[in-house]
Amino acid sequence: MLLISDYDIVFQEVPNEVTLSLNLSDCPHSCKGCHSPQLQTKIGKELTTDIFSELLKKYGQHITCICFMGGDRHPETVQEFAKYLHSLGYKVAWYSGDTEKPSCIDLINFDYYKIGPYIEELGSLKSQTTNQRMYKIINAQKEDITNVFWKK
Amino acid sequence: MGLSETYITKRDGKKEVFSLEKIKNAISKAFLSVGSFATEGVLTNILSRISITNGTNVEEIQNQVEIALMSERYYKVAKSYMIYRQQHLEDREVLDKLNFLMDYCDAANPATGSKYDANANVENKNIATLIGELPKSNFIRLNRKMLTDRIKELYGKELADKYIEMLTNHFIYKNDETSLANYCASITMYPWLIGGTTSIGGNSTVPTNLKSFCGGFVNMVFMVSSMLSGACATPEFLMYMNYFVQLEYGKEYYKESTKVVDLSNKHRTLDKIITDCFEQIVYSINQPTGARNFQAVFWNISYYDKYYFDSLFENFVFPDGSAPDWNSLNWLQKRFMLWFNKERTRSVLTFPVETMALLTKDGEPLDKEYGDFTAKMYSEGHSFFTYLSENADSLSSCCRLRNEIQDNEFSYTLGAGGVSTGSKSVLTINLNRCIQYAAKTGKFYMFFLEEIVDLVHKVQIAYNENLKDLYNKGMLPLFTSGYINMKRQYLTIGINGLVEAAEFLGIEINDNPKYLAFVQDVLGLIEKYNKKYRTDELMFNCEMIPAENVGVKHAKWDKEDGYVVPRDCYNSYFYIVEDTSMNILDRFKIHGREYIKHLTGGSALHMNLEEHLSKEQYAQLLKVAATEGCNYFTFNIPNTICNDCGTIDKRYLKECPHCHSKNVDYLTRVIGYMKRVSNFSVARQVEANKRYYATH
Repeated sequence: MLLISDYDIVFQEVPNEVTLSLNLSDCPHSCKGCHSPQLQTKIGKELTTDIFSELLKKYGQHITCICFMGGDRHPETVQEFAKYLHSLGYKVAWYSGDTEKPSCIDLINFDYYKIGPYIEELGSLKSQTTNQRMYKIINAQKEDITNVFWKK
Repeated sequence: MGLSETYITKRDGKKEVFSLEKIKNAISKAFLSVGSFATEGVLTNILSRISITNGTNVEEIQNQVEIALMSERYYKVAKSYMIYRQQHLEDREVLDKLNFLMDYCDAANPATGSKYDANANVENKNIATLIGELPKSNFIRLNRKMLTDRIKELYGKELADKYIEMLTNHFIYKNDETSLANYCASITMYPWLIGGTTSIGGNSTVPTNLKSFCGGFVNMVFMVSSMLSGACATPEFLMYMNYFVQLEYGKEYYKESTKVVDLSNKHRTLDKIITDCFEQIVYSINQPTGARNFQAVFWNISYYDKYYFDSLFENFVFPDGSAPDWNSLNWLQKRFMLWFNKERTRSVLTFPVETMALLTKDGEPLDKEYGDFTAKMYSEGHSFFTYLSENADSLSSCCRLRNEIQDNEFSYTLGAGGVSTGSKSVLTINLNRCIQYAAKTGKFYMFFLEEIVDLVHKVQIAYNENLKDLYNKGMLPLFTSGYINMKRQYLTIGINGLVEAAEFLGIEINDNPKYLAFVQDVLGLIEKYNKKYRTDELMFNCEMIPAENVGVKHAKWDKEDGYVVPRDCYNSYFYIVEDTSMNILDRFKIHGREYIKHLTGGSALHMNLEEHLSKEQYAQLLKVAATEGCNYFTFNIPNTICNDCGTIDKRYLKECPHCHSKNVDYLTRVIGYMKRVSNFSVARQVEANKRYYATH
């Protein structure tokens, strides 16, 4: 079960997209210096297709992408929702804090995939020394686009 | 109780123990001034007619002295005493002015020092701006007198008194009461093209080449602006300039812009010649202007997509019989925008305020090329307004210069009919006070509001009669020469405090049926009266005013009088500017067609962002705006300006990217136009700091 804490419309997290980003709680990682530690606890409510219908009714016409922020405890569920959103014609992004991609995940179900825990000394995606990677998935192939976050 | 224990009220409101000696002294002096002498007996007789109780004020005592002197038949002395009082009154007024002068000199910046209409468009505080400030109170008095006389004549004394009562109690606000001129205008330049500036009192003949166009244009804009209290829009500026470039360098000049066409040692290319013209015009117009209290003129221009261009100018003919040419204008529009965006990294250039007019169909720009170009310019950090419409039946070149285009006919004396519009006068309703007052006094607010709405329309009609008088006396050459048209200028009903009124009623400020119903009821009422009072010569529109200084004043006055005031500056948007819970899409929605449909005079959504977006993202947001019916908007990303080395950067930065100084200021829109935040009035600086800039 995925727990959604809140959502926002974002522009910087996924390049060139107008993204509905879903903040998922119950994060299994406990990175030092985490920018939203409240998401390490179980807060919010269960993410269901009903919630998606409600959000898409409100914003569906205007967004180009939906981004899962977290959800690492249940990668299969994230993947199931990703398939569902793809079937509706949206691009799907996933910000995961995992070090390795879970074997059950087929990247064909995603358009953007960020991987890597936050390591304070190395910095976030905006830092050139970051361990985190942002991939754009084109024809099931990963293209590393982390550097687009560095120009700013 | 003896007189010595009585306290009287002084002019400054302070209490003071009453002193019989002071009155005796004053009376004795009055006798001496006419060569006479007051004995103790005479003084006693006079004083016996005066009655003083606790709290009697100085004016009342002096009135009693006057009457006592006359009752005792000392008429000459009474006259002298009255003259003496009048002189002191005048001295006190001068002293007030002197105090204001000192305060103004000590104020942090001109906008903060201004007593009547704080305005960030005045950058420097000096003798010229001070000269402009001093007569403002007299203008207010004069304007009120002219208006109330006319209201009396048209509707009777009761309504005139009611107007002053509503005005002094801040239920309504008369914008630009410190100026005598009508408000703002979008002009047709055809009368200038065929007659020069002589018809409006100037001495320049018709422009005949690019050089005389550039110089003459600047003069013309200065002259027009000196006869307006607000903005001057020239929606045809680039189209006319294009005509003159073509005259000199051929119809297809844009295809050879890199060619060297200057035979001087400079060897300038055509592109350089053209951008030098831009430079001359833009820098000249951004200069402080003597005739406008050292304010720069407030200049607006428009860009058009192909469809708008076709629709506005399809019948247009230049005096030599040629028609405007889209291909070259298309190039020149883009060239100007690119140049201006770059130039703004060199110098703080506030004007022109630019509006891109795009026709939309099925939720996206019809002219793909211009939709793309608009998104590209936003992504390159250029800040300008976009106006979207499904039909070319309206146009906007400024927040309050939206107009319905009634006729697109071309006239050989006046040019394109569609571009000429404006507002003669703005009278604003303070909705928060009106609605709270109604609730306090047990009235249904819509009934109370209806009285106010009816009143403001009648006042505007009276204003229009006064303007007609000036027109008939030949005082308004802009109208008589055809730059603008008396029948096509609106009388504007402004609104302020809408969000705050809704909050008072317990309505949540987001897209919900209750808020929408409230907005539509209130604005619908105004529109009903706009239609009711419309005649062949009267047109009304309704605008959510930018309220650069009124927003602050209303909040202050309402707070002082005990009304619920949730913030120190009333919003000029349908949402709460500091609200972090509304995302960007929510904000477009709440400035969408259902909310703005009765705002016939317009409103502008200022989308505040912390970082620039990509071209693709802006393109998507143009679609969002088109789908939601949000017709006028801009994106604000504060630009950084270094106070040490002067570097201007389009990004919102904490330190200068060049010299790494942390002593930086920001350029953003105070309301419609971009200025340094430090030029804002102190109250507006506080508001600007609270603005929510979406960070994601």
